[in-house]
Amino acid sequence: MCELYSKQDTLALRRKHIGPSCKVLYAADPIKIVRAQRQYMFDEKGERYLDCINNVAHVGHCHPEVVKAALKQMEVLNTNSRFLHDNIVEYAKRLAATLPEQLSVCYFTNSGSEANDLALRLARQFRGHPDVVTLEHAYHGHLSSLIEISPYKFRKGKDVKKEFVHVAPAPDIYRGKYRENHADPASAYADEVKKIIEEAQNRGRKIAAFIAESMQSCGGQIIPPAGYFQKVAEYVRGVGGVVIADEVQVGFGRVGKHFWSFQMHGKDFVPDIVTMGKPMGNGHPMACVVTTKEIAEAFSSSGMEYFNTYGGNPVSSAVGLAVLDVIENEDLQGNATRVGTYLTELLNRQKAKHTLIGDVRGVGLFVGIDLVKDRQKRTPATAEAQHVIYKMKENRVLLSADGPHRNVLKIKPPMCFTEEDAKFMVDQLDGVLTVLEEAIGAQTESVVPENTPCRTKMPKEAPSELLSDGTPDPKENPGQKRNRLCADKPSLLSKRLKT
Amino acid sequence: MLGEGDSKTEPKAPGGRRAGGRGPERLGRRAGQRRRGEHDAAPRADFRGRRVPSARQAGAGPGRSARFSAPWRPTGAERPRRWPCGGGCSVGHCHPLVVQAAHEQNQVLNTNSRYLHDNIVDYAQRLSETLPEKLCVFYFLNSGSEANDLALRLARQYTGHWDVVVLDHAYHGHLSSLIDISPYKFRGLDGQKEWVHVAPLPDTYRGPYREDHPNPAVAYASEVKRVVSSVQEKGRKIAAFFAESLPSVGGQIIPPAGYFPEVAEHVRRAGGVFVADEIQVGFGRVGKHFWAFQLQGEDFVPDIVTMGKSIGNGHPVACVATTQAVARAFEATGVEYFNTFGGSPVSCAVGLAVLDVLEKEQLQAHAACVGSFLMELLGQQKAKHPIIGDIRGVGLFVGVDLIKDKATRTPATEEADYLVSRLKENYILLSTDGPGRNVLKFKPPMCFSLDNAQHVVAKLDAILTDMEEKMRSCETLRLQPEAALLSPPLGECALLLVLGDPELGSLPSAVAPSFQTFCL
Repeated sequence: MCELYSKQDTLALRRKHIGPSCKVLYAADPIKIVRAQRQYMFDEKGERYLDCINNVAHVGHCHPEVVKAALKQMEVLNTNSRFLHDNIVEYAKRLAATLPEQLSVCYFTNSGSEANDLALRLARQFRGHPDVVTLEHAYHGHLSSLIEISPYKFRKGKDVKKEFVHVAPAPDIYRGKYRENHADPASAYADEVKKIIEEAQNRGRKIAAFIAESMQSCGGQIIPPAGYFQKVAEYVRGVGGVVIADEVQVGFGRVGKHFWSFQMHGKDFVPDIVTMGKPMGNGHPMACVVTTKEIAEAFSSSGMEYFNTYGGNPVSSAVGLAVLDVIENEDLQGNATRVGTYLTELLNRQKAKHTLIGDVRGVGLFVGIDLVKDRQKRTPATAEAQHVIYKMKENRVLLSADGPHRNVLKIKPPMCFTEEDAKFMVDQLDGVLTVLEEAIGAQTESVVPENTPCRTKMPKEAPSELLSDGTPDPKENPGQKRNRLCADKPSLLSKRLKT
Repeated sequence: MLGEGDSKTEPKAPGGRRAGGRGPERLGRRAGQRRRGEHDAAPRADFRGRRVPSARQAGAGPGRSARFSAPWRPTGAERPRRWPCGGGCSVGHCHPLVVQAAHEQNQVLNTNSRYLHDNIVDYAQRLSETLPEKLCVFYFLNSGSEANDLALRLARQYTGHWDVVVLDHAYHGHLSSLIDISPYKFRGLDGQKEWVHVAPLPDTYRGPYREDHPNPAVAYASEVKRVVSSVQEKGRKIAAFFAESLPSVGGQIIPPAGYFPEVAEHVRRAGGVFVADEIQVGFGRVGKHFWAFQLQGEDFVPDIVTMGKSIGNGHPVACVATTQAVARAFEATGVEYFNTFGGSPVSCAVGLAVLDVLEKEQLQAHAACVGSFLMELLGQQKAKHPIIGDIRGVGLFVGVDLIKDKATRTPATEEADYLVSRLKENYILLSTDGPGRNVLKFKPPMCFSLDNAQHVVAKLDAILTDMEEKMRSCETLRLQPEAALLSPPLGECALLLVLGDPELGSLPSAVAPSFQTFCL
């Protein structure tokens, strides 16, 4: 493979010219990827990795049909949506056909962040209300307006929660307030939203929207219990607000049985606004907001134009259409169901075998493995998760960890992921966990006392070691010393493994 | 008359290379290894190790279309359509080299910037060479709006302040945060926020300080100083002064030279930073320089520069360039900045290809040449047609300000709208802008030719002549050029009668007040 720069030089140039807030994966040993096809990525040495991370490459990296569609249109026309063109209307029609009937008006943008920002503008313009209810650990994008409604971000930074933002507990039935043993966690969590809305109303505030990822990804692969969204919608609409379903991570058939994740909650749940992005163009920058005629009309009643320079251009629309075609022609939804079920089954067997696995949750090809130090207390195994990620990389499997404690292994691969891939991934994981547990077990018997700080008390924020540039940042969280002890653990473990 | 290919000025090496350069060895460049886009006789290898002939060889190489070897021009079958860069197609719609670059990369890899890849660092390096040395840190995104939003975040983190000073009639993007700093938008929506402060647009044709003022740059800059002072008196603190290097939506405004350096001084003294929004005007459009802010002087360096639109010839790409200091302050928050598609291998390949084409086809020099020619032709039209109040521009960024009345300079809004619709009938795409919706905006693809310029102006001439004969809906359409120079200014009340006067003819129904401002 012919590189322009050696990996070392690439890294050096990156440090010189790319904003240091832009992190690389595997900071301690970054990967240089030069090629990808389907669900595999190749580094500069030609080593092949199984990609379990990239939901963006939805139909498979560099899918030839999508590439062809882009080329064909790029050669002919790529201009803005102020001119009439067939692609944008055809695409809007095809998208609307995947959604409930009332969701029929599309706005095309370039990124999920732009889509979510527009969703907020639509919601606020609708009845003139300003406030937003969001979920704990939510992440809706990197724009100023979205950091404000993304506790996943604003709790980490210097930003304080704005008064017009209200944070409800994430409906996490494994680690949240109401768990799997609760009689009706959906209602319990929805009542939390109701309480928040009532408190806000009593203070004279007006709710514009409730926004939630249909399944939280950064929040740790959270699948809200059935019935939750219906009840929340009732409370929100009761006070004149709208429901925004953020499908940016999880749309386009990833859950298998349905095209959109919110559809898992039943036909009687229809959001007012749906945002989509990431997988939409298989890597091409595009996104979309779909809403009702009523909301769209309210938005245009201001008389102010909405123009997005690149949104809805003929090439993006052609790419979007090609992706829809591939999803259909290759029955990727069916594949997601089959392979997802198989994967979850294999992982549940691993759960029975490995005490480190606290929970396996997922639907279709959206799966999370929640690693814990203690199954009773469900203490997040943050350092262990980091260790697993690096070991899996050595075994040529790309995985990432997320969740507020960075302990949930996230699996959301390209939709062409096969049963063989699932088996391979799980076999590697089994090996890594076995060795890790042996080392931990051995260590427990030796000098490390039971009450080391990182065992008894988890810091609020786990170190983002996986995504850092390697230098520990003392400002990141106050529990840094404890975390470093945890962070040291993998190297201690690996030392032991070598002997 | 200038023929195509003639140039009034020696074509300079575009790209605005800094004096003194960066030294003979760029980091990572092994001796003899060529930079992408360097033209020489020897072939080079692409990422897959294929030997790729240089541009010169391309025409002779087997299987390569001859058109790759010459600057790309539309062929005879295509009508000379011109659209002021609505999709940011700066090097020409569907430029084959840009398409090829995107396609080649699409076939190999298109993933996010969390993996190391050569394209993003190569592109950042190439961009850094076009900018003053301290602007060397880059963030890649997908749209100018995303870029401006990030610029706002960077400014606020760096300064620890919150307030923003903007120019009247500015437009910085469609995101919530940017509507707030775009008077062009917020005046029609939620209104001005308390942390936003508006300074007068440095418009020397229609603003408070005009062409007859001894020093409009200092006068307008003093307005900013006044705004900054009043902000501080209220106990508020300035994070940034945000301005389009050449306000486009405000009406193709060319700020007087010296204005930005003065403003920067006032803003920085107050602890703020200077953000230059180059989204509409960067990448050689102004001809003389690569970046429009460079028109303000060699010594003037913004703290943050945002770029978009023309950067990817229509592909969704954008970028923020800033200093190490600003970047480090942002990093110190401890919060990662991740943009899913920004800086992807395909977007960077496209960006690099656009830079290559700009260089190879000498489009910057071309813009200077054709732009001068266009201005000259338009100047002749101004002498001929009193409705043209002002011609202003630099390179291929030109505005034609249409007025109803020479003395009052009242915008000829309806007439401009009508003119645009007539031009469309003649297969010429133009739009208008400015608060009076009366400034014809010229910002075509950079391959716009001398012939195209001649053609457009000829049509403009014919239509204006026709309007003077048949429409006569305002004073300037009724005056003869000599009469316009000699006669005293007429009161505005006389104009109001025109529209309803059957003898003078009414405006065609095409001129309905349904015209929407185009903001490109």
